[in-house]
Amino acid sequence: MRTLAARIAAFFRKRELDRDLDQELAMHLDLATEDNLRRGLSPQEARREALVRFGGMEAAREHHRDARGLPWLDSIFQDVRYALRTLRRDAGFTAVALLILALGIGANTAVFSLGNVFLFRPLPVKDADRLTVVAVQSRADSDPGEVSYPDYLDYQAHSSAVFTGMTGYVPNIVGLGYRGHADRLIVSYVPSNFFSMLGIRPGLGRLINPGEGDAPKTGPVVVLGHSYWEKRFGGSPDVIGRTVSLDGTAVTVIGVVPKEFLGVFNLLEMDAYAPVGMLGFGGNSVIFTSRESHEMRVLATLRPGVSIVQAQAALAVIGQRLAQEYPNADQGQRVRVFSEPVARPEPAAADSKPLVVTVFLLMVGLVLVVACLNVANLLLARAAAREQEMSIRAAIGAGRRRLLRQLLTESVLLALGGGVGGAIVGNSIGHVMNGLRPFGDLPLRLAFAFDWRVFSYVAGVALLAGILAGLAPALRISRTDLNLALREGGRGLIGESRRHWLRNGLVIVQVAGSLILLVAAGLFTRSLRRAESIDLGFDPHHVLNVSLEPGLQGYTEPRTEALCRELLRRTRALPGVRSASFAFSIPLGYYSNGAPAVYPEAQTVSPSSHVPGAGLNAVSPDYFTTLRMRILEGRAFTDADTAASEPVAIVNQTMAERLWPHRDAVGQRFSHKAAAGPFATVVGVVRDAKTNSLLDAPGMFFYVPQTQHYQSTRVLQVRTSVPPELLAPAVEGLLRELDPSLPVYDVTSMDKALQGANGFFLFKVGASFAGALGGLGLLLAVVGVYGVVSYSASRRRHEIGIRMALGAQRIAIFRLVVGQAVLLLGAGIALGVAAALGVSRLLASLLVGVPAHDPVTFLGVSGMLMASALLACFIPAYRAARVAPMTALRDQ
Amino acid sequence: MANQKLDLLQGTLDVMVLQTLNAIGPLHGYGIARRIEQVSGDQVLLNQGTIYASLVRLQQRGWIAAEWGASDNNRKAKFYSITRSGRKQLAADAAHWQRISDVMGRVLAMTGEETQ
Repeated sequence: MRTLAARIAAFFRKRELDRDLDQELAMHLDLATEDNLRRGLSPQEARREALVRFGGMEAAREHHRDARGLPWLDSIFQDVRYALRTLRRDAGFTAVALLILALGIGANTAVFSLGNVFLFRPLPVKDADRLTVVAVQSRADSDPGEVSYPDYLDYQAHSSAVFTGMTGYVPNIVGLGYRGHADRLIVSYVPSNFFSMLGIRPGLGRLINPGEGDAPKTGPVVVLGHSYWEKRFGGSPDVIGRTVSLDGTAVTVIGVVPKEFLGVFNLLEMDAYAPVGMLGFGGNSVIFTSRESHEMRVLATLRPGVSIVQAQAALAVIGQRLAQEYPNADQGQRVRVFSEPVARPEPAAADSKPLVVTVFLLMVGLVLVVACLNVANLLLARAAAREQEMSIRAAIGAGRRRLLRQLLTESVLLALGGGVGGAIVGNSIGHVMNGLRPFGDLPLRLAFAFDWRVFSYVAGVALLAGILAGLAPALRISRTDLNLALREGGRGLIGESRRHWLRNGLVIVQVAGSLILLVAAGLFTRSLRRAESIDLGFDPHHVLNVSLEPGLQGYTEPRTEALCRELLRRTRALPGVRSASFAFSIPLGYYSNGAPAVYPEAQTVSPSSHVPGAGLNAVSPDYFTTLRMRILEGRAFTDADTAASEPVAIVNQTMAERLWPHRDAVGQRFSHKAAAGPFATVVGVVRDAKTNSLLDAPGMFFYVPQTQHYQSTRVLQVRTSVPPELLAPAVEGLLRELDPSLPVYDVTSMDKALQGANGFFLFKVGASFAGALGGLGLLLAVVGVYGVVSYSASRRRHEIGIRMALGAQRIAIFRLVVGQAVLLLGAGIALGVAAALGVSRLLASLLVGVPAHDPVTFLGVSGMLMASALLACFIPAYRAARVAPMTALRDQ
Repeated sequence: MANQKLDLLQGTLDVMVLQTLNAIGPLHGYGIARRIEQVSGDQVLLNQGTIYASLVRLQQRGWIAAEWGASDNNRKAKFYSITRSGRKQLAADAAHWQRISDVMGRVLAMTGEETQ
């Protein structure tokens, strides 16, 4: 112990100790010389004799250092210094290797971070590892989703054997008014056990008390989200006890949540939390009684030791009982339990989510593998070129271990550099991802921050990559036959075939890996193109959207109607406007409306059969003209459809065929409120459109006049003959003339709005991610093939010189070099196609309108890979063909 | 055979240094080296330089201590002296060497008759 401490101390006092030693040795020599002089030797003789007796001066120093310090650490530093010098000397090689690793590792970091948000990172709540999401499928084939409030209460009451607690939330967009100014907030309406079950303590004030606001129309309080509190109230503690209005109801601010709690929705930070009973004030009391109104997102904490399967089985029993008791609502319903991270952001995604993440992690892993192979190949090629250097080092006494360590040091240094570069690249990608706004004006919180998990992942991968990439060449070199290498003068004509075999093998695998990446990229890109050319059923081009919510400013229904009528009149008068209309929501937007059930008049619904639900939008008369949706039968709405006239509706094809098969739908009546009415008369049938989901077949959907279905939220949609953004200032100006206090939201073209989460967003993200990875794969493959071909061409200079001296034409030499590339590429592509055919089946369910074995994609990317790699190989081929035979021969 | 000197056995140099310091008291490196050579009757093949590795080793084990002082002709020199634990170690080493020497002596004294 003591010795070790002394050695470590000595290691750090190297310079001082060396000085001491030098002094001591000089003294020694002086004394010895003096003794010798005394014995009668001449001064030179005396000095010489002293030196001889002393032995090697340098050896003595070296022994002294070895004995006192940490020789292994010293030699590591030496290795590092030497490696840095070598890497700097080969700047081109170093740059390429670093670039390859940084890109390979960086893409990994980015995707891992994304996966971290979507799949891995636990919520900052109590027992997050046991937190689950409970969701129901209304029919066997529908996506798992929200639970009705009464069902939630039943599940909660009877599941204490498997869960320690169950809570939930109803997300909603509401207006918060304070001192004459209203904000649009995303609010979670929560049962009173929400915060206590999740173990959240107040950041300020208090949270919701047990039992507070669980009953309808009670609990007029609100807890603010941390960011919103800072934004709107400047983070002032005075806010506690203030009265604000929430959708027109006066409520008291009781507290603020802690900074790290963003709510449990993952993608969005909640602005506020209110007791679920508050929903009653908004005229939404139906959620407390209706088992058809699926509004509640349910969370539950497993008891320790209980598995998800057991919990699901326990809930299924409760579900069966509910189905017997409430056949109309709960028949055919299936309850599911997911680990919370799997059900992000929506339980609907839970079933396909692991596949999506797996595919991306696989792709990214493949990039890393290809990158490592690439660097290994570069190192291998370089190692071969350095064989002579190594032989000399070995000849003058460097041990095999020492050489191995030297080479490993170099590759680990490279890998660490690549790791740092990768972390930087990954973080930049993260920043770009953070900048995406898939939800219009709503505050998206991807929380892409760099965390230690990501970092350790990157660091681990980088180190592993370095060791793997360095090991093979290092082993090879250290096994080199010294005599042979020195004799050959580094030219190597014999014994090379095995080495070539290894390098060629690596290139082939690399090309194959890149091809798989390119196939995936191609499939996703073509999938996006297909999605974009899907017939939406409406025309999104040249439409401007402007959202407003007069209700937030205290507008009543008549005042809202008057405002909207006037705004429409003035908008239509603007130059460049073709038509204008209002709707509650836009197709494929981030919110929409729906009726839990529709009841056709005079059709008896048997208790066992499910009452189908339908999508719903309240629109103004010119809506179908503005969106260019074709009315197939009957008529569109007119100004004659008012609150006082007969209730009317326009249904889509699917609804017409489902409710009134083989009959004329126009003139039929149905209700979206209750089996007994009130009924609306169908006055028209409109062509099916993609309203809620880009991919699913359009479900039943109907439209009602806004005059007969009042909602304060509405979007002004303007069809323009000019680029729609140009008209935005004019329309906003009109609104300011009418009421300067009225805020507008989501002012954007319909084309842009379609890039949102329910539109093309995921396709775009998927396609750009896959595209980026594919591009990376292509780049790596080109660099790899180029590296090997140009290296082997340079090794064959001598041979080429002989060939040319014997009369070979330049074109023949060119063909010789390119031929090697074609062989490598051909083998790699063949292997890659075979592997991709197997792998792409995995992607099938994520693709739209493109078969997983799409021949266009396979042929296209193979051709692209072949062409670009060959192009890169023309450089070494040209160089080889230009070799002057005499120079090449004289080189030796 | 005259110019063929003894190659030092591993570990013997340390013992010699300790014994020298024990017998004579504080000495500088050159003094120790000379002393060992003289005592051995110039029988030992000593690269004087190797003494310094030994000195640092002994110092780190705490068996000897070093101090800068003035040499006979008033020059700055590093003087080494044996410590208490050094003496203990020397006693142990001396016993060990004595035993080896005895055993070797007996083994080498074996004659042909005795082996039968």
